[in-house]
Amino acid sequence: MLDFLEDIKRMNKRQLMYQALNFGMIVSSALMIWKGLMVVTGSESPIVVVLSGSMEPAFHRGDLLFLTNHKEDPIRVGDIVVFKVEGRDIPIVHRVLKLHEKEDGSVKILTKGDNNSVDDRGLYAPGQLWLNKKDIVGRARGFVPYVGIVTILMNDYPKLKYAVLGCLGLFVLVHRE
Amino acid sequence: MASKKVDSTGDSTSSKVEDEKPIKVDKWDGSAVKNALDDAVKKVFTEKYKYVENHWLMDGRLIICTVAVGAAMFALLWDYLHPFPESRPILIFCVLSYFVLMGVLTLYTTFLEKGIFLIALMKDPAGVDPDNTWTASSSLKRFDDTYHLVLEFTDAKTKSTRDVKLSKSISCWFDENGTLLFDLFEPEVCKLHNSLLAEKKNK
Repeated sequence: MLDFLEDIKRMNKRQLMYQALNFGMIVSSALMIWKGLMVVTGSESPIVVVLSGSMEPAFHRGDLLFLTNHKEDPIRVGDIVVFKVEGRDIPIVHRVLKLHEKEDGSVKILTKGDNNSVDDRGLYAPGQLWLNKKDIVGRARGFVPYVGIVTILMNDYPKLKYAVLGCLGLFVLVHRE
Repeated sequence: MASKKVDSTGDSTSSKVEDEKPIKVDKWDGSAVKNALDDAVKKVFTEKYKYVENHWLMDGRLIICTVAVGAAMFALLWDYLHPFPESRPILIFCVLSYFVLMGVLTLYTTFLEKGIFLIALMKDPAGVDPDNTWTASSSLKRFDDTYHLVLEFTDAKTKSTRDVKLSKSISCWFDENGTLLFDLFEPEVCKLHNSLLAEKKNK
């Protein structure tokens, strides 16, 4: 089991640096793909996981959603949007119920989950009756079912997340191609 | 750049070789086997023949990788300091440059390196003539047991290149447990080396 320590001892400075760079490149590739998606979709979080069952039967807990947030695509009633309430980090996926729009482009949005019985005013910040454009993370464009359950599990059991990432990282650092 | 320390007395060199534990790898892991054989070739050239290793090829690869990772880290930092969407132009630049660098790296590895793992300089004992260059490259196909080794000798004076190839099964040099039998491998490498040198004398 400790063979990998032997492998590391046998590597010279350059090979060690290359192993570290290899690890860095894998992390960087994932990072750059994520940032690239951010740029292409215009949304700060182009892929989100549905966390609750408030949009059933359209979306279930654990579904993966792809979002876009282009300025040229105005939000309309009936669109499924992902928004974050000010002060809270959790993204919420609901449908637009009412929309007020001014000539200068500013909008006021009211949302409601398909599976909820009341609109989202109870979820907004105290005193807030409408959502603004800046609260919207993006509009749902496509989805992949079930795949997001991995993310939910990793967040519920952080030790699992660290164990998996730790093992992967160690493997990449030690294994010579 | 530190060059490998060279022992002038024969006694201390041979005891150093005995002190080193024989390399043991997982015999079914193709890349580990190839790396072990490549390391052994490097050892023969640097310790037995006392050639100086030239690292420019590896350094080039390291530099490209470092710049790429640097671009990615810069993008991460900038995005953290200036949240999206203000960071959009910088992000576009960093993402594009990262993938361009990845392309450059792939081209570099495919066309420039071509499996070369060692470049060693044979210094002229008189110190007058420029150094001759030895280049070693190898390949071991996936799930295949034949190790191909190509030794190239470039004469600095005539600028001519000669090469010699070796293709043998890795089972010739590894035992049941995956230990590299250096004493069996070394004479074969030396034979190739001497054959190239002899050709030079014949010319």
